[in-house]
Amino acid sequence: MDVHDLTAAYALDALEPAEAEAYEAHLGQCEDCRAQLAELNESAAALAFGAVAPAPPAHLRESILAAAAAERSNVVPLFRRRFAPRVLAVAAAAAACVAVGFTVAALRPGGTHLVATVVLAADRTATLQVDGLAHAPQGKTYEAWVIPAGGAPRPAGIFTGGGLTLRGKVPAHAVVAVTLERAGGVSAPTTTPLVEART
Amino acid sequence: MSRQLAHLSDEALVLMAARSEESALAELYDRYGRAAYGLALRVVRDPALAEDAVQEAFLALWNSAARFVPEKSKASTWILTLVHRRAVDAVRREQRRRADSLDHAPEPSVGGVDEDAWLRLQRERVQAALRSLPDAQREALELAYYGGFSQSELAERLGQPIGTIKSRMFAGLSRLRELLGEPGTEVSWTSTI
Repeated sequence: MDVHDLTAAYALDALEPAEAEAYEAHLGQCEDCRAQLAELNESAAALAFGAVAPAPPAHLRESILAAAAAERSNVVPLFRRRFAPRVLAVAAAAAACVAVGFTVAALRPGGTHLVATVVLAADRTATLQVDGLAHAPQGKTYEAWVIPAGGAPRPAGIFTGGGLTLRGKVPAHAVVAVTLERAGGVSAPTTTPLVEART
Repeated sequence: MSRQLAHLSDEALVLMAARSEESALAELYDRYGRAAYGLALRVVRDPALAEDAVQEAFLALWNSAARFVPEKSKASTWILTLVHRRAVDAVRREQRRRADSLDHAPEPSVGGVDEDAWLRLQRERVQAALRSLPDAQREALELAYYGGFSQSELAERLGQPIGTIKSRMFAGLSRLRELLGEPGTEVSWTSTI
């Protein structure tokens, strides 16, 4: 069976679970399929509008909003504190605070603050978005860290700007931090965090 | 109810939802809740199951909005994909009788007198596009998308090789894309408010 042929069926949710899983694995490696799926998904979703749509019961809206509020993603924006380094597990491991401070200051001459937002899903996977972050300079990458309460920083992925889905699960009361590292990332932070958020 | 966010794009609302803005989720529900419910009901054929599918989908949206990549997909596509997947999961889980989705006839007369003009227009466009497909392609799309049948089930039910089913689904979706993508058919939200 050629897995490329499964795109339309996948877009229609017409694969058996095992087939869908195989196709998703393939999708990660096949740019053509990703592009085609994006197109066919649009067509499939258009079919949704072909169904007659009676008004949903009024309580459904309230029920969804109440459940969303109860599951409220855990978001704690923290401003970057360039001149008030706190003793964090990350900071303890830092070796080149001044250099980083300098690099960041150079990147952001206006000194505007960064805002980190961690969105924690119910299954404790999380995404991190950092607003105000310039694209990482040549040869460098941003690296995210998850620091469990009382634990050592665990590398959670590298990115060059914007944000990312954090690798692994994020425990309660952890700190998510971002440092600037050499391209490719490192296994333990070598610089002071640019920004951090508590979950 | 005032709709202070009515001027924002769907994509902007998803980004706000990623920041846990409940008002953004509410606005997305106000835009797509009805289409979502109609879709779920069509697939699961049971009001309680349809509600569950819609609720699960909107909560999935809420919890994973940060992973949405606006460059890659329209927000409405994403939302309806979430709804559809949950509806299909439900109908397969429940092992409900899906044979009745073979009948195209027993559509509820219309969506009701209060149905949004925009939704009605969309429905007419999609139904017209579906009618213009070759019968075999339309049948494959309808059974798969509205009936929740897998391609293997379709092959068995229609007595066709699975390759034929795949080709029909692909050709049908591709043609639908051409038909619905024709210029002059784009309808913006602002026209409905």
